[in-house]
Amino acid sequence: LTATHVHAEQWSGEDVGVGDVVMALCRLREASAHETEGPDMRTSVMTHLAWVPPEWEEAAVETLAGLGERHPSRGILLFPQPEADDGIDANISVLAFPLREQRRHIAAEVIELRLRGRTCEAPASIVNPLLVPAIPVFLRWRGRPGFGEQHAEQLVEVCDRLIVDSREWPDVPQAYAQLPFDRAACSDIAWRRTEPWRRSLARLWPGIAELEKLRVQGPIAEASLLAGWLRSRLDREVVLEHDEAEELTAVDVDGDACPVPKERPTSSDLLSGELDEFSRDRVYEAAARAAATF
Amino acid sequence: MTETQTQPQENPLLEGLGMRRTPESCALVIFGASGDLTRRKIFPALYALAYRRLLPERFAVVGTARSEWSDHEFRDRMEHAVREFGRDDFKQEVWDWLADATQYHPMDFADESKADELVSVLNRVDEERGTRGNRVYYLAVPPPAMPTIAKRLGKRRSTKGWTRIIVEKPFGHDLASARQLTKLLSRYFAEEEVFRIDHYLGKETVQNMLALRFANGIFEPIWNRQFVDHIQITVAETIGIESRAEFYEKAGAIRDIFQNHMLQLVALTAMEPPIDFTADSVRNEKVKVLKAMYTPGPKHVVRGQYGPGFVEGKEAPGYRDEEGVGPSSTTETYVAAKLFVDNWRWADTPIYVRTGKRLARRETTIAIQFKRAPHPPFEDSAIKELQPNSLLVHVQPDEGVSLAIGAKVPGQGMGIRTVHMDFMYGGAFRMELPDAYERLILDAMLGDQTLFTRSDEVEEQWAIVDAIVAAWARDRPAFPNYAAGTWGPVSADELIQRDGREWLTH
Repeated sequence: LTATHVHAEQWSGEDVGVGDVVMALCRLREASAHETEGPDMRTSVMTHLAWVPPEWEEAAVETLAGLGERHPSRGILLFPQPEADDGIDANISVLAFPLREQRRHIAAEVIELRLRGRTCEAPASIVNPLLVPAIPVFLRWRGRPGFGEQHAEQLVEVCDRLIVDSREWPDVPQAYAQLPFDRAACSDIAWRRTEPWRRSLARLWPGIAELEKLRVQGPIAEASLLAGWLRSRLDREVVLEHDEAEELTAVDVDGDACPVPKERPTSSDLLSGELDEFSRDRVYEAAARAAATF
Repeated sequence: MTETQTQPQENPLLEGLGMRRTPESCALVIFGASGDLTRRKIFPALYALAYRRLLPERFAVVGTARSEWSDHEFRDRMEHAVREFGRDDFKQEVWDWLADATQYHPMDFADESKADELVSVLNRVDEERGTRGNRVYYLAVPPPAMPTIAKRLGKRRSTKGWTRIIVEKPFGHDLASARQLTKLLSRYFAEEEVFRIDHYLGKETVQNMLALRFANGIFEPIWNRQFVDHIQITVAETIGIESRAEFYEKAGAIRDIFQNHMLQLVALTAMEPPIDFTADSVRNEKVKVLKAMYTPGPKHVVRGQYGPGFVEGKEAPGYRDEEGVGPSSTTETYVAAKLFVDNWRWADTPIYVRTGKRLARRETTIAIQFKRAPHPPFEDSAIKELQPNSLLVHVQPDEGVSLAIGAKVPGQGMGIRTVHMDFMYGGAFRMELPDAYERLILDAMLGDQTLFTRSDEVEEQWAIVDAIVAAWARDRPAFPNYAAGTWGPVSADELIQRDGREWLTH
């Protein structure tokens, strides 16, 4: 839970049904009313859905903690445990965040569901009753989505925007070809990480117009996306030379160093930035398609 | 490879990067740099823009005023101002960047030779900081000082780059003086170069009025005389005149708030949908509203002045006891009026407005009161507490929008009560709202006049005010007529009660 919320109501249960979760949410919101002038306001701008395989659990919870105050919506975290016995375990929190100059609070709901056994195969049937109606659904997929697999396809159908971090994928740049651009708006945190560098590169216009060779020191995902972006935007072949590194640290344009940007966004900042976007990012789509051919 | 200037229209790399709001290299010259506005608003806004990297890389601030300060002293004072009034945490590297771009030159513009000196300073700034002759002159000075400065600047326009001049409100003292100032400015500057600030237009919630009306299909069809019973606009302050007695004695509430903020809120509320969001499209629609407004007769305008009282639990002096105010002052600190916009959309729909100092609560609210449901099929006792629907736009504080609706009280019977559905900016968007001055200074640097008032708007506003003031000149008011900490004079209540309505308390 986050350091900035003022109070939290919690409920948990094992082997629960979705109806139990809905009822528990209602009770928790009513319970939050006792300290303030009325129930905490639920000012939802989205449902934030996350598919979190075990190896990503710690990182996901950490990022969510940084997000709670900025995007106080309904968050549904799905932790798949396909090897366990069938069933659903739930842990629900209603967090109250203060409103400036007011006694009232706003409520953020976090629903953590452990999907055990065969329930992993039908996540949409579990998630659909829990979505806040008539507002967008953002699906954050930790790790590499198994595009074409039943659970992944179901959740892509449910969401309006799919958020991935292709740095977490073992098979970039080829995997970019599988992104479901035709079914959901897609965004990529690796792409967001390149933004400060893209700004720096954009400032080199028009000198960069005849670019031939891009050298990038950083993860392959960001390197491929930067090269794909330049290829698609400049509409010309761009050769990518890549030196592996944990972070994007240097970009050379035909042998000249691009000014290093000062911005260093946190992982919460990066996801938050993606959650602020509601429409298709066609510049990213073109960059990813171009990157897939490297 | 060297960094080159961005060319938004041609650079294909800019798409999706949101970089178009970075202005071209320029120097911002602040007249009245030792004043309160610079300290409280302009520098904190510049810091916020620098914090977000929205200022151009090649940028300079040249402060000028009569105070004999050194560069160092000015920077030091502005650093304190940023720490005190800035909305962001203080980052030394951001401040260092801004401080490095800042210099101060003591000057009295009454001395014409000082204008030549400023030109030399700015030419040197161009060479040192690469500002290319682009100038934004910010006249943060009292109205009497404006003509001299504008004239001297106009005669010495930079022959390189572009020039923009920001003029603080009030723009003139009445219609004649506003026209005179416009005439003077137009001798040296094109209308596209003049940016008349009404900082209310830079507020997010005021701009949200346009989003609310024109981005939502549900409101516009009912935003007219068929469905709206009346409109109320309140601009209420709890503070007194602070240390502005000299200005306020000449201005009063009608020139300080009504002529600009209030009439702009009326125009934004009542305007027709513009064809696009360009400066002239928006301003064309606003000016049509102002032109269509009846001049309110004496019975439709109430003025007041506060006497002693208690505001938020603290004893407050009467206006005549404020420092710098005479014991028999007849300056109004409160104005309420019933206005009509005489067009197809709003014919016969009253717009009640009120503004004042030392009122019961600080708030700026636009309330659209809809007509009652024609025949609720419930017993009278069920709906006794039910009010007509109203849409409340909270400009400040508690920025947001509320819709008052009737809802059934849970239980066996059929009791219906009014409840509020709230959208609060602070709840849905967990970010600090930018200060109006950030938006307006940046827009001026970008040459975007959408949120600035045009000369014809200002003149229409003054025409309405002049007519009201002329009527006031015929008699001497019995002031004070309301106690500090209340909602204004009884006559303001009577103004609306005569029509069978009440001021809304939100």
